[in-house]
Amino acid sequence: MKKITLKVLALAAVLAVVSCDNKDSDPTEETKVSKYVLMTMSENTLTKPGYVTVFDQIPTGNVSNIATNSTQGMGMGGWRPYKNWLLKLFKTSDNAKGVERLKLENGKIVSDNFLAGDNTTNGTGNFVIANETQGYYWDGASPLKIQTFNPTTLSRTGEIDLTAAVNERGTTDAAILYRSVGQKFLAVKNGKLFANITYAKTNAAQKGFWDDFFPDVYIAVIDIATGRYEKTTKIEGTGAIAYINDNEMYSFDTNGDLYIVTQGTSPTGVGGKSKIARIKAAETEVDKTWEIKMDDIMTGGKFVTVYATNGKLITTIPNVALTGGPTGNINFSEVWDFYAIDVATKARTKISGVPSVTNPGAAYGTVKVDNKLLIRVNAPTKSINGYFELNSALNSATQLFNVTEGGSISGFHKIEI
Amino acid sequence: MIAFNSIIKSIIRLGIFLGIFLNTILTYSQSVKGKVITSDKTPVVGATIQLISTSYTTQTDADGNFELNVSLSSSQKLKISLVGYITQEYSIKEGNNIIVTLLEDVKQLQEAVVYGKTATAAAKETSIKTEVIDLKKSYELPVNISELMNRSSGVRIRQTGGLGSATDISLNGFQGKSIRYFKDGVPMDYLGDGFSLSALPVNMLERVEIYKGVLPVSLGSDALGGGVNLVSRNLNKNFADVSYEIGSFNTHRANLNLYLTKGKLFYGADAFFNHSDNNYKVNVKVVDPDTRNQKDAKLNLFHNAYTGYFAQAFAGFKELAWADEIRLDISGFKFTREQQHPALMTEPYGGIVSKQASLIPSLKYKKQVGGLSIDQFLAYNTLIINRIDTAKGTYDWYGNFAPNPLRNGESSRPSNSHITNNYFTSRTNLKYALNLSNTLEFNQVFTQANRKGNDPLGAKFLDTQIDVLSLPSEYFKSVSSLGLNSTFLNKKLENLLMFKVFNYRVSGVETYQSLDVNTTDAKKVDGTTWGIAEGIKYQLNSSNIIRFSTEYSNRLPDHTELFGDAVWIVQNFSLKPERSINLNLGWRISKRNKFTADLNTFYRRTKDLILLVPIQAPYARYENQQNVKGLGTELDLSYNLNNSFTVTANATYQNMRLFGITNSQEAWKNDARLRNTPFLFGNAGLNYQSKPVFNNTATLKVFVFYNYLHEYYLETIPKRLEGSGIFGKAAVNTLLIIPNQHLVNLGLLLSFHAKRISIGTDVKNILNHDIYDNYRVQRAGRSFHLKINYSII
Repeated sequence: MKKITLKVLALAAVLAVVSCDNKDSDPTEETKVSKYVLMTMSENTLTKPGYVTVFDQIPTGNVSNIATNSTQGMGMGGWRPYKNWLLKLFKTSDNAKGVERLKLENGKIVSDNFLAGDNTTNGTGNFVIANETQGYYWDGASPLKIQTFNPTTLSRTGEIDLTAAVNERGTTDAAILYRSVGQKFLAVKNGKLFANITYAKTNAAQKGFWDDFFPDVYIAVIDIATGRYEKTTKIEGTGAIAYINDNEMYSFDTNGDLYIVTQGTSPTGVGGKSKIARIKAAETEVDKTWEIKMDDIMTGGKFVTVYATNGKLITTIPNVALTGGPTGNINFSEVWDFYAIDVATKARTKISGVPSVTNPGAAYGTVKVDNKLLIRVNAPTKSINGYFELNSALNSATQLFNVTEGGSISGFHKIEI
Repeated sequence: MIAFNSIIKSIIRLGIFLGIFLNTILTYSQSVKGKVITSDKTPVVGATIQLISTSYTTQTDADGNFELNVSLSSSQKLKISLVGYITQEYSIKEGNNIIVTLLEDVKQLQEAVVYGKTATAAAKETSIKTEVIDLKKSYELPVNISELMNRSSGVRIRQTGGLGSATDISLNGFQGKSIRYFKDGVPMDYLGDGFSLSALPVNMLERVEIYKGVLPVSLGSDALGGGVNLVSRNLNKNFADVSYEIGSFNTHRANLNLYLTKGKLFYGADAFFNHSDNNYKVNVKVVDPDTRNQKDAKLNLFHNAYTGYFAQAFAGFKELAWADEIRLDISGFKFTREQQHPALMTEPYGGIVSKQASLIPSLKYKKQVGGLSIDQFLAYNTLIINRIDTAKGTYDWYGNFAPNPLRNGESSRPSNSHITNNYFTSRTNLKYALNLSNTLEFNQVFTQANRKGNDPLGAKFLDTQIDVLSLPSEYFKSVSSLGLNSTFLNKKLENLLMFKVFNYRVSGVETYQSLDVNTTDAKKVDGTTWGIAEGIKYQLNSSNIIRFSTEYSNRLPDHTELFGDAVWIVQNFSLKPERSINLNLGWRISKRNKFTADLNTFYRRTKDLILLVPIQAPYARYENQQNVKGLGTELDLSYNLNNSFTVTANATYQNMRLFGITNSQEAWKNDARLRNTPFLFGNAGLNYQSKPVFNNTATLKVFVFYNYLHEYYLETIPKRLEGSGIFGKAAVNTLLIIPNQHLVNLGLLLSFHAKRISIGTDVKNILNHDIYDNYRVQRAGRSFHLKINYSII
C-alpha cells in the first residue's frame, strides 16, 4: 500500500512537473511581441497627410518612415495612445473629426474602428479613457454634454448632460455666444472626470479658439461612479486652457499629481499669462499654492507641452518672444528649447545636447518607450528630425534615431501584441 | 467711390483711345472688304485675296473677313483662291462688301492635296499647340462640354458632382488657378460661375480651344499652364434652334438659339435652363445614432440639385462704314446650387445653398481697315454671390434632420452672406499687317473688380465686431501682350514671338480676424512682371506639320491669396507670382478624310507654386511652396475606316515631379510625382454613321466612348515606391488613392433631314462603375439622357 501510495505520489509529482512544464510552454499562453510604431506628417497642410510604420526593434540611426509596410493617410499630426491602442482625433482616410483606433494587421497599421462626431466643430473627438470599458469624449453636436463610450468596442454608450454646470455663470452675459464642456480638456483622476467649460465670445468657425470670455478657466468635476456633476474648480487668470488636438497638454506625475498646460490670454494665441497649473493626486481643486507662470520666465511666451516624471516637468520654453500671424515664429521656427523644471523648487534646467526645436503642436514633446524618456526633436535647419533619449538626471539628451523620409515626426509608441 | 471714379476714368481713357482709332479708320482712304464662306456658310480662314494684275494680296482672318486698302479703279478685279476650292473672280469698286462663296474643287479633293480650312480646323494648326473641340458635331447630343473636353488628350476636367457642379481643369499637369478661362478671348472672371463648363449647353458655342502651356497674343491673361477659350457660335445665316433634354436624376435642360439678320442689322437671343436633382447613388459612411460608429451604405444624394437660367439678347450692325461689326449684348444669369457635402464626402449637408446672379451689358466693336483690325470688348457688371448656411441642426445621409438650437449652420462656416462684386472688363485687340508676311498684334486686357458685402453669421473682428466682409477690397489687373506673327518660305514657316507685361494692384484690409482692425487700415499691394513666348510652325508638306513653342510665364497671386478669406485664411503680402517655363514640341500628320495623328511632347519647369499651408492653427495662408518640372507626351489619333466608321484614340502621360526641395525633412519628396494630379489617362471612341434610313429621310449615328484614368495619389509618395513602369502600383499601403477608372458612354443620334428634327440619346457610364473625381468625390453611375432638337428656321 505504501509502495502504491509512493508510486501514486511519484506519478503525481511527475505529472505536476510535466504539468508545470506544459504550463510554461502552453501555446494558448500569449507571448507578447513588441512593435514600435512611428508616425510622421508629410505635408504641412490642413488635412495633415502622413505615414505610419511598424518597426520590430526600436529604431536607431537614420530611418525612413516610408516603406512597404507603411500606411499613408490623413490626420497624422499626432495621436493619443492608450496602452496598446493607437488612438487619434482625426480619421486616417479623410481627416474627419472623431476618435479613431488603429490596429496592426499583417504587419501594417490599418484603421480598426471610428467613433464619429460633428465634423465641423474643432474639439470633436477630444477624449479620455478611464479604463478598458469606460471612456469620455466631446462631440460638437452636443456641446453641453459629455459623451460616454466603451473604449474596447469604440462605441458610444451614453452621455452626461452638464448644461446646469455650464449655466452656473455667464447666463446673462450677452457677449458669450458659445458654451461647451469638455471641448478642450478632459482628464480622469481618482474616480473623477475633469472637463473644461468654454465660454466663448464667438459662435462662428473659430468658436473655442482664443475667444474666451472669462479670464479664469473653469473646470467641471464629475463623479465617474454616479455620473453626477459635483462642482467647478478654476485656474485663475490664464484665459485659455489646452489647445484642441491630439496632444492633450496635461500629464500625471508618478505620484498622481496632474499638471495642466494653459495657453494664456493672447487673442492671437501667442501666450501671455500662460502657465502650468496643478491638481494634486488626492484633490479635486486646482492647487492655488503652486503654479509656474511663463510670464515669470519670459515675456511673450507660452507652454505647449508637458511631461511629468518623479517631481520633474519636461517642457519647452521659447527663446524669443512668440509671434503669430502670417510671418510668426510660433509653429515652424526653431525657437523652442527643452527644459526640465523641478516641481518643488521651480528651478529650470535646460536640457543639453538638444538644439532648439519647432513647436511640437499635436505631437507629444516627450514620450516614454521601453523605460526610455524620449523627446521629440524637430530642427529642419540642422537636419534633425527624430527622438533624443534623456539621461536619468534629465539634463542631457542624445539622439536615438533620425527620420529621413516621411515628414516631421509626430508620434512614437510601443505596442505589445 | 474710389473704385467708381477709377472705372469712370478708365472708361474715359478707353473712349479717347477708341476715338483715336475710329477717327483713323473713318478718315482712311479707299478700301474693299468682304467675307469668304463655304457653301454651308462656314467662314474660310486663310483664303488668298489678290488684286488682279497687282502685287496687292491679303488673307481672310479667323472669321473669313478680309480687307484691301489700295488705289482702286472700277475695272479691277479680285481673285479669291484657296487650294481645294474653285478660284473665283469678282469685279470690285470702292467700299463694296463682297460675300464670296467658295465651292469645293472636287477634282482637287479627289487628289487629296491641300485644303482650305474652317476656323476650327485652322485653330488646330497654329504654331501654338491647341486642342480644338468642334461642338457643332455635338449640338444634337445630350452631352456636356466638360465630358467632351475629357475626351481630349492632355485634358482632365474634374467636377465635384453632377450637372452645374464646380469644375476644375487639369492641363498637362497644371490645374486650379494656373489655368485661365476665356469667352471669345475675354477672361471670364466677370461671369462668375455663370458660364460653368458643367452647365453650359454645347449649343451655345462654336468650339472650345484648349491651349496647353502657351497662350496666343489674343488671350491676355496670366495663365501659367494654359487656357480654355470658349468661342461663341459664328453667326452668318438665319437660324432658330431649340432643344430639350430629359435625363436621369430629374435632369431637364432647355436651350434656345436664335439669330436673324436683315440687311446690316442682326439680332438674336440665346437662352438656356438647367435643372438636375443630381440625386445619384454614392457610397457613404452612415453613422449609427446610438453607437456613433460608421457603416457602409449606398444611398441617393438628397441635397445636390442645381437650377440655372441664362438669357442673352443681342443686336448689332455689320458692314457699316465705320464698323465691320458693332454688337450690344445684354446677358443675365441666375443659379442656385445645393451643397451636399464638404470638399471630402465626410458628412452630409441638407440646407447649404449657394447662389449667383448677374446682369451683364457688353459692347463689342470690330473694324478692319487695310492691314489694321481692331477688336474691342467692354463690359461692366455686378455679380451677386450668396452663400446660405443657417440650419439649426444637422442632417444624416438619409436626409433626416436633427434639430439643434445651439447650432449655427451645418458647416464650419455658418453664413448668410450677400457679396457684391463689381467688374469692369476691357479687352482691346489690334492687328496690323506690316506686309504680306508679318502681322503685329497687340492685346490689352484690363480688369477691375471690387468687393463688398455682409454676412450676419460670418466672421467679425474680435474687438470691433466689424463684419469682415463689410470692408471693401479692390483688385486691378492689366495684361498687355505684343506679338509679331511672321511667315517665311512661301508660308511654310510661321513664327510667332510675343511679349507680355502683367501688372496688378490689390487693396483691402487684413482679414486676420484676431487683429485689432479698423477700416482705415487698408493696405495696397502691387506688382509688375513680364513674360515672353515664341512659337514656330513648319509645314513639311501637305500632310505634315511640326511646331515648337516656348513661354516664360507668370501667374499673379489673386485677391484671396493675398488678403485671405476672412475666416481661416490670413493674408500674405509677400507672395510672389508663380513662374513657369513651358516648352512644347509637336508633330501633326493628316490625310484628309482618312486619318489624323497628333503627337505632342511638353516640358514644364515651374517655380514658387502657391499652396495653402497652416501657419498657426487654426489659420492658414498661401505661400510659395513647390517647384515642379517634368516631361509629358500626348498622342491623338483619328482614323476613318470607311464612310461609316471612324475610330479615335488618345493617350496622355505626364511625368510632373517636384524638385529643388532643400529642407532636410522634405528632401525625400524631390523627384516625387505632383500629388493629386492624374498622370496617365486615355480615351477611345468609335463613331458609326449609317447610310440614310427610313426611305432616305433620316441619318443614324452611333457613338461609343471609353475613358481610362489610371490611379493616382492624393498625397506625396517617394519615387522609389511608385512601382515599376508607368502602370506600376505604389508599393505602399495608402488610403489616399483615386483608383483606376473605366468609363463607357454609348450615344445614338437620329436626324430627320426634312423635318429638321433630331433625337439624341446617351447612356453615360453604361457599365455603372464607381467613378471618382476631385478628392475622391463620387460621380454618377449609369444614367440615361434624351435630347430632342428642332430647327425652326
